Amino acid sequence: MKEEFNREVFDKRANEFRHVITDIICRAGSGHIGGALSLVEIIITLYYRIMNIDPKNPNMPERDRFVLSKGHAGPVAYTALAYLGFFPKEWLPTLNADGTRLPSHMDQIQTPGVDMSTGSLGQGISCACGLALAAKLNKEKHNVFCIIGDGESNEGQVWEAGLFAAHQKLDNLVCICDYNKLQIDGTTDEVLSLEPLTDKWRAFGWEVFEVDGHDWDDIYNKLSQAVETKGKPAMIIAHTIKAKGCKGIEGQAGSHNIKVADSAAHKQYMNDLEGEKVALPYC
Amino acid sequence: MTLHEKEMRAVYAETLNELIEENHNVLCVEADLSKASGTNPTVIGKNADNFVNCGVSEANMIGVGAGLAREGKIPFCATFSCFASRRVYDQITISCAYANNNVKIVGTAPGITQGPNGGTHMCFQDLAIMRAMPNMHVYSPCDVYELKAMMKYMANDKQPAYMQLIRPKVDKIFDESYVFNPNKAVVIKEGSDVTLVSTGYMTQFTPKVAEELEEEGISVEVLHYPSVKPFDEEALIASAKKTGAVVTVENQSIIGGLGGAACETLSEKCPTKVRRLGIPDRFGEVATEKYLFDKHGFGPEHIKEVCREMARK
Repeated sequence: MKEEFNREVFDKRANEFRHVITDIICRAGSGHIGGALSLVEIIITLYYRIMNIDPKNPNMPERDRFVLSKGHAGPVAYTALAYLGFFPKEWLPTLNADGTRLPSHMDQIQTPGVDMSTGSLGQGISCACGLALAAKLNKEKHNVFCIIGDGESNEGQVWEAGLFAAHQKLDNLVCICDYNKLQIDGTTDEVLSLEPLTDKWRAFGWEVFEVDGHDWDDIYNKLSQAVETKGKPAMIIAHTIKAKGCKGIEGQAGSHNIKVADSAAHKQYMNDLEGEKVALPYC
Repeated sequence: MTLHEKEMRAVYAETLNELIEENHNVLCVEADLSKASGTNPTVIGKNADNFVNCGVSEANMIGVGAGLAREGKIPFCATFSCFASRRVYDQITISCAYANNNVKIVGTAPGITQGPNGGTHMCFQDLAIMRAMPNMHVYSPCDVYELKAMMKYMANDKQPAYMQLIRPKVDKIFDESYVFNPNKAVVIKEGSDVTLVSTGYMTQFTPKVAEELEEEGISVEVLHYPSVKPFDEEALIASAKKTGAVVTVENQSIIGGLGGAACETLSEKCPTKVRRLGIPDRFGEVATEKYLFDKHGFGPEHIKEVCREMARK
């Protein structure tokens, strides 16, 4: 299922997603909001315009696979999965609640539509390589999409996977690096510099694209080109803004994981969202 | 050449070829130690399409294995036991066990069989740490027949599992009729004075130790555990009730592995005097087997001595 692009509809959807993500994290009392809000446009584009998936048949063999290697951004993927109908929207406010099927980090056993459990950084991209290699071995045509974080790119395993994917010519693998330039302890430059990031991936033998991670057309065009890449894996360096759209914390390292003390703080975060207020679908 | 005249790693590689020919989803995955595992050239020469070399990237190998398993492949991911367990413990925990991805991890050259690579490579804790991981089976075959049966079982089972693999030729303990059941210990010899429990490499020694003690008039019951998880509690309790004395011996630290499993079981369900033999809380070193047996007190003569003591009690 793929949807025709309509800017108004997509803008409205992104705004609604930001409200849902912020609300469910606030209800949970804490959560990784920054790296979820930075991915809203990318996730919507993947799920609504790029990936071949079917909510009625989440295990469809020919579906495209998706691995959120930065598993802590679960709430943005859960929002897309719920809106597409992989599970009821009523599940969304159960994020991190006792007995939930939507844990803070992605879980392939708990949540319909999740192809790989992730949360321990660096591992998802290796698993995505395994999914892509299996497709090659089986002569299957689907693609594997994987989102890694910039902080996650401190992990050596990311670069092991980088060598492997290029060596195996996994051109059915498209990775996106959510380059919001912030990690828990500060900016990526302060903590452990990644630059020149584009050159690094190019040197590892990947086809590399840079994209404005909040521009619908740019994301769609670069993803489409990445899918068409032959003979090597593709990496999209997505320049994003951490906690995009939530004024009080946007662009701040502290947005990585917020603590929401009480209902007043919850209200404050919701008021800080820039777009038009929306009626939450589960209230 | 009969099976037991071959090196364990040769049988590992030949069995992988057989499994691949039966089921094309079986894969041989390596991290630049394929010659050490015996799969190069045996598997790569015959089934190159089912052979994946990840290079010296063990963490990535486990993730790739998890991704392959998620798609229904049955990857046997092999490297030295130190790298196959402690180096990638979190990768196995999350990408394999937590996610329930059906990866088979093979830790080669376990314990003192690592030999001249010495202290950096001798891993004495893989049985213990892998056993502490939820949703992980932990096996240690003692001879070629058990290895082969175990691999066949693993290829047909959907359970993430870790298996130790001794590389050189070892003595035959079982024969072609051997059937592996992870839930069952094997009573190699019945006895009444003391229970001698072993797994993996040390089962190479326990039957002979028992035979020699028999000549001294000490009746030893020999139990072999191909699986330390699941752990056959019933077999141990039944034997402990009969003999009242238990000696465990393993090519591992005495902390948390087979001896640990035995003590956990008996202390809760059938309090019995136990002596654990193996490596005490120490690292390995470059040394011969005899030197290490003598230093740590778990070779055949030490086992005998401890069995004599325990049988007298």
